[in-house]
Amino acid sequence: MRCCFTVALLCFFGLVGDTGYAADEPVSFNRDIRPILAKNCFACHGPDEGTREADLRLDTHAGATAARDGRRALVPGRASESELVARIESDDPDVVMPPADSGHELSVDEKTLLRRWISEGGEYKVHWSFTQPVKSELPPVEQSDWPKHPIDHFVLAKMEAGQLTASEKADRYRLIRRVSLDLTGLPPTPEEADAFVADSSDRAFEKVVDRLLASEAYGEHWARMWLDLARYADTKGYEKDRHRDIWKFRDWVIHALNRDMPYDQFTIEQLAGDLLPNASNEQILATAFHRNTMTNDEGGTDNEEFRVAAVKDRVDTTMQVWMGLTMGCAKCHSHKYDPISQQDYYSLYAIFNQTADADRSDDVPVLPLPTAEQTWQISEIEAAIRVLQQKKQEKSDDSLDAMIKEQQKKLSGVRNAVTKTPIMKELPEGKPRETRLHRRGNFLDQGDRVEPAIMELFGSIDAEVPVNRLQVARWITQPENPLTSRVMVNRVWARLFGTGLVETEEDFGTQGMMPSHPELLDWLAVDFRDGGWSIKKLIRTIVLSSTYQQSAAVDVKKLAADPRNILLSRGPRFRLSAETVRDQALAASGLLTRKVGGPSVMPPQPDGVWKSTYNALKWIDATGPDRYRRALYTYWKRTSPYPAMITFDAGSGEVCQIRRVRTNTPLQALVMLNDPAYVEAAGALARRMNDVDGATAARIRRGFRLALIRPPSDDEAARLLEVYEDLSANYAKDSAAADKLVKAANREAGDAAMIAVANVLLNLDESLMKP
Amino acid sequence: MSNLTEQQNESSLDVTRRYFLGRGAGVGLGAMVLNVLNGESGNGQVVAAGRLAGTHFAPKAKRVIFLTQSGGPSQIELYDQKPGLIKMAGKELPASVRNGQRLTAMTAGKKQLVMPAHSTFRRHGESGATVSNWLPHIGAIADELCFVKSMTTDQINHAPAMTRFLTGHHLTGRPSIGSWFSYGLGSDNRDLPDFLVLLSKMKRGSDQPLYDHYWGSGFLPSVYQGVKLRSAKDPVLYLRDPEGLPRHLRRNMLDGLGSLNQVRFEQTGDPEIETRIKQYEMAYRMQASVPELTDVSDEPESTFELYGPDSRRPGSYAANCILARRLAERGVRFTQLFHPDWDHHSRLRSWCTARCRDTDQASAALVLDLKQRGLLDDTLVIWGGEFGRGVAGQGKWDSPEGGRDHHPRCYTIWMAGGGVKSGTTYGATDDFSYNVAENPVHVRDLHATVMHLMGINHEQFSYRFQGLDFRLTGVEEARVVHDILA
Repeated sequence: MRCCFTVALLCFFGLVGDTGYAADEPVSFNRDIRPILAKNCFACHGPDEGTREADLRLDTHAGATAARDGRRALVPGRASESELVARIESDDPDVVMPPADSGHELSVDEKTLLRRWISEGGEYKVHWSFTQPVKSELPPVEQSDWPKHPIDHFVLAKMEAGQLTASEKADRYRLIRRVSLDLTGLPPTPEEADAFVADSSDRAFEKVVDRLLASEAYGEHWARMWLDLARYADTKGYEKDRHRDIWKFRDWVIHALNRDMPYDQFTIEQLAGDLLPNASNEQILATAFHRNTMTNDEGGTDNEEFRVAAVKDRVDTTMQVWMGLTMGCAKCHSHKYDPISQQDYYSLYAIFNQTADADRSDDVPVLPLPTAEQTWQISEIEAAIRVLQQKKQEKSDDSLDAMIKEQQKKLSGVRNAVTKTPIMKELPEGKPRETRLHRRGNFLDQGDRVEPAIMELFGSIDAEVPVNRLQVARWITQPENPLTSRVMVNRVWARLFGTGLVETEEDFGTQGMMPSHPELLDWLAVDFRDGGWSIKKLIRTIVLSSTYQQSAAVDVKKLAADPRNILLSRGPRFRLSAETVRDQALAASGLLTRKVGGPSVMPPQPDGVWKSTYNALKWIDATGPDRYRRALYTYWKRTSPYPAMITFDAGSGEVCQIRRVRTNTPLQALVMLNDPAYVEAAGALARRMNDVDGATAARIRRGFRLALIRPPSDDEAARLLEVYEDLSANYAKDSAAADKLVKAANREAGDAAMIAVANVLLNLDESLMKP
Repeated sequence: MSNLTEQQNESSLDVTRRYFLGRGAGVGLGAMVLNVLNGESGNGQVVAAGRLAGTHFAPKAKRVIFLTQSGGPSQIELYDQKPGLIKMAGKELPASVRNGQRLTAMTAGKKQLVMPAHSTFRRHGESGATVSNWLPHIGAIADELCFVKSMTTDQINHAPAMTRFLTGHHLTGRPSIGSWFSYGLGSDNRDLPDFLVLLSKMKRGSDQPLYDHYWGSGFLPSVYQGVKLRSAKDPVLYLRDPEGLPRHLRRNMLDGLGSLNQVRFEQTGDPEIETRIKQYEMAYRMQASVPELTDVSDEPESTFELYGPDSRRPGSYAANCILARRLAERGVRFTQLFHPDWDHHSRLRSWCTARCRDTDQASAALVLDLKQRGLLDDTLVIWGGEFGRGVAGQGKWDSPEGGRDHHPRCYTIWMAGGGVKSGTTYGATDDFSYNVAENPVHVRDLHATVMHLMGINHEQFSYRFQGLDFRLTGVEEARVVHDILA
């Protein structure tokens, strides 16, 4: 609830009274009241009729003001006559609300707010995210020369209200490193940085941004964000966790992002590409999004149970990814906080319940997509068979039969080798699956029959067409849907700034947090939606703002006033993602293999990590170029994900992950210091350093620039030189140790002390952080 | 403004800063979290920091050692003696007993013919608890133990049932019990993680996979997840410095690294840098503390005699029991052992006895060892698995080839120390060890009870995620089993 946080800040500076709210500012239902009611009251007095107590609901104005035994919970304008106030202020344990055993308790401030709200009329408003976003007028600001873009107006207005001023612009070295990591997940080269620093044109930064957005690395980097949502992995999950061929979906995402497929189309193809008229193979492939659900191959499982679990996952994931709503609760009972009934849930479920997949171990239906070479081979063999069969018709010959058989064997060999990606496919027409409500979410306890339908909450859909996944996709992407664009711009914002404008990216419902900058969020949402749903344009807009380009340095005063940078008075500074940490080290050391797409690869991981499982999959460390591919291509086994990346907070891929937590742990230090992959990167970086002709200082400077892009200060250079000289002197006395380190870094010969310095460079806090 | 503080705390992504800085200062974030959950800021329920504070009431147990027996040990062979079954041998299980119980696809549709226990039993000690002769050492310490014979769950396949047993929910994504304690209470040991996991290295390959999410942190920040100590040469991944980088040179490197980071901290003011400096120091300390922990060469011969011959084999269950005791001595909050392969669908006699041999002596030795060191009083030991086994024979009921299928409706676990009543048997099953006859203890009741012993009210210990306050015990009613508390 960031608005309130602002208020808390004001309170900190003694600007407002001790209730925490300016006395002259009216209470806002959405900002102040609904969160209190939702947290403390709705569980028993909310939308869920199954658990409603005393037949009282406080989530609607009608419910709260209805007369019950002559009393009304809420009497608009008259707090003292309202039963609600009497209950929350009561000292009697039998009367007080919320009851002591509920585990909830209202603070003095909350009670005051509720009383004031009723005194001011006790109005209810529709939850903010369920209303249409609009572009509001730009707010006035004092420092009028700072905003370069509407974004900056909104941000600066909040900043000024919080008595803060914007930070100066980040220096160009840091800026290019920041934007390169953000847009492509790879650092710039020192030469690219120098060119940017030397470019005096007005469009210097824009040119960099456009170059980055046009690079293939852009799609690779942003695909990773989407793959977290898609719960993408290379195995099927559950007990056996066998291999699944679904990497072509990963590549589909990369290509779709690189060609900037509009987000509405991107949505429709993934949810229902197979239902589009004359669907292309690419559009069908896109539906693998929902075939990333887990499949249980454990002996003795009931396939129906896990098919049902997969369908529920698809419903939940769809609502969560595109609309930021949690549906999980409505599986078992009507939602206690948001207006989603159990009936709504199973109506939507009934739509997703019509696909042919059934938790089968062969994961059918699948889409075979032969490579060009395979297509050619198949047609060659088929032609050969045709010729042989023709000959056979002319004269019967046993040797011809044998030749035909051989060709057929060859053909099936090629066909078996073709990658087959699981995809969505509707059941044959006229044979729909019947859906019944699952009582308490238990699929064995089936209730009333439910017909496929879409919630009416966010606009209706054409009743003439069949209700299917395509209709769901269109309902999600229609301009009237107030959530879809807000949720996506918030997600992009969060990836760039570390925290969303709505911090609870996964929950835009009544239990989620309020946006810190509601007008900004809406401005971006409308701009994104009306401007053609272009993700590249959205990113470009944000990074060209003054807000994004601020320096991340922070002084004590700012840190105390706004420790989490909610008011955005400085640039974003947070740890790089697991993938970027790896990719950056490979890029800086020159090891990185630039190849887009293809089957997942197995860079080295410690022996025995995969021993805990019992299927035939084996981890075989790649030795060629595949050893150094981008992290995105690392083989992902759900029950035993790549350890170095898990340590840096990558997810397992078992379920949709809306946002990753960011931790800072000792295990990460061990990875960066000792994981052979990083020791090898240090070895390669040291080689690049030693390639520089000249003194040690010049070599260290080169390494520093490769790792951090900016030049080192004299002090930093001196400290690194000290480390080098100290280690160098030690290794001079112990050449056996030096040789061992060189070998550990996968080098045949080299300068052990420089490898150690390179290891330090890759471990610097600044290396691991977005600058 | 307690709810504001709470929301910010719980939703914050960069939690580790406060976590580790807090610990460095001697105040666990865990304690702070509990204060917040207590509603500390609004209503004056301030709990002093620094002691094992932040609990809702005085804890009986300060730490847990969870001896997880994965695969479903047979309560019928091991603890829940049913002499009447002999008369029923080979007869069909009455439908009134089965009462619609789900079966796995392995035995569904097949006749459910009663198979009496392959083992024999005897009574032990003053408490007179019946324990299988396949577990002589556990039987011998029966007076120290509290048997719960009425455990019940609602999952019939391994992974969902174990996930339920350890996270409270059958689908993945929730925090494991150990991570809840790490989050809530932190640990007294600054040189080791709060929550450590030890997997048995089997003599032969095992069929039973153990998943990282069994000790994962779910939606809690990953800093709270269990750290797996491996039985390989590096008990923690990447613990060893690369070859050719002796420790004194590593120290010099880290000093250089730390000084450069310190310069950055002074320039940018970001406290995250300070945390990173501390974490590198913690990593350096773990490089010493973890090998020191796992190097048992300082243990006297008598230790290995107590824990049995297999305790000399690194990575064995018995060796891990010794490590569990060493972890308890070092104040680690939650230690969890996993022993797989209790899944005796066939050849029950040889299969089940093999697992008994792996675990019997060492499990009992751990309890005795903790007791003789004065650690049992505040260490809770739990022995148990995800479900039990059915009374019907799987395969041929009257052949040594016969086994038993999974059975969720009742099974037996035991606990020791940490505030539970010793020499007790709680709950009972019907004549077929099929349904709970009295005092059912659901998995969530067990969780509520363990939390209670650790000083936490499970209803007041929650984490806000996706707009909901999640608890280990979930939304269905869970009860603390007061009858088994000392």
